[in-house]
Amino acid sequence: MSEETLDPAISALEERSRALFEDSVAGLDMGTRSRLTQVRHAALAAADASAGRRWLMRMPVWASAAGVTAAALLGVALWFGGPLHPHGQMAAADAQSKFEDLDIIAASDESSGDAMDMLQDDIDFYAWADKTASSEPTA
Amino acid sequence: MSGFDTLPSAWMVWDGPAPATGGAVLEQTRALDKFLADIERRAFRMAQVALRDPDDAMDAVQDAMLKLARNYAARPSAEWRPLFYRILENAIRDLQRRRSVRKRFMVWLPGPKEDPDNEAQDPMETVADGGTPVPERLMQDEAMQKLESSLRALPARQREAFTLRNFEGLDVAETASAMGCSEGSVKTHYSRAVHTLREQLGEVW
Repeated sequence: MSEETLDPAISALEERSRALFEDSVAGLDMGTRSRLTQVRHAALAAADASAGRRWLMRMPVWASAAGVTAAALLGVALWFGGPLHPHGQMAAADAQSKFEDLDIIAASDESSGDAMDMLQDDIDFYAWADKTASSEPTA
Repeated sequence: MSGFDTLPSAWMVWDGPAPATGGAVLEQTRALDKFLADIERRAFRMAQVALRDPDDAMDAVQDAMLKLARNYAARPSAEWRPLFYRILENAIRDLQRRRSVRKRFMVWLPGPKEDPDNEAQDPMETVADGGTPVPERLMQDEAMQKLESSLRALPARQREAFTLRNFEGLDVAETASAMGCSEGSVKTHYSRAVHTLREQLGEVW
């Protein structure tokens, strides 16, 4: 203000005008004060609303790049390993056949007595075949 | 050389303020509330001195508050004051420009002419807080009206320099930042404004 104006008349003008201005500010009517308060609250609400958007916009670049990379990797993994992909269907079919094999093995384990009977039948058959072959005269 | 080596390092490294947490945002909102509450009345009166019409002044203050809150709330609070007054002065200039265009346009239209100075007001809204005796109050009001008329007659840059420095108490650097000019220009505008006001208001004022 008057640090560079040493003229007392100028200083008096500055002081008088400042005092009048402060007085007029203090004398503002209630309606105006109320409207100013409403305007301030609206501005603060706008600041709160834009704070979230600002945070997103100011995310570090490397964090954004890492997010994009992670999303891409996840997409690739889902594409090649997912149940909808042809490779995935094949893998599912393999798994199914393995389960069937396991069922057969388990079933054969449960009926191990029958298997021994079958093996015994085979031995009898091979013994009979061998005897038959050796007893037949050669032509 | 990998692709990343070709990228500018400033693009890769985040050197701005850390993302505000919930508590920090709340603290910032409180600080902004206090700042706006401190300046809102003086800002309104300064806008009213420039624009005369209280509704226009309220519009300018509202515009400045919203823009500051939306765009600059994350800036350090020390920067808020010059930023706010820069936005406010821009809003005032926009309104003055719009008003002059409207006046020029209204001249060519038939019907009653709009005169914002003679608009009817609700008398209850103009009741000020008590405290000052009525004759003294009247003298002060008259002196303030003279000051306002003289300020309106000043060139815009001089009025801005005077109101920002003398009414709002900004220093030369802050005023320069608010006006978007050099500190030397602020001193020149201010000096011319003070001397012109002295001549217009006279010794008795």
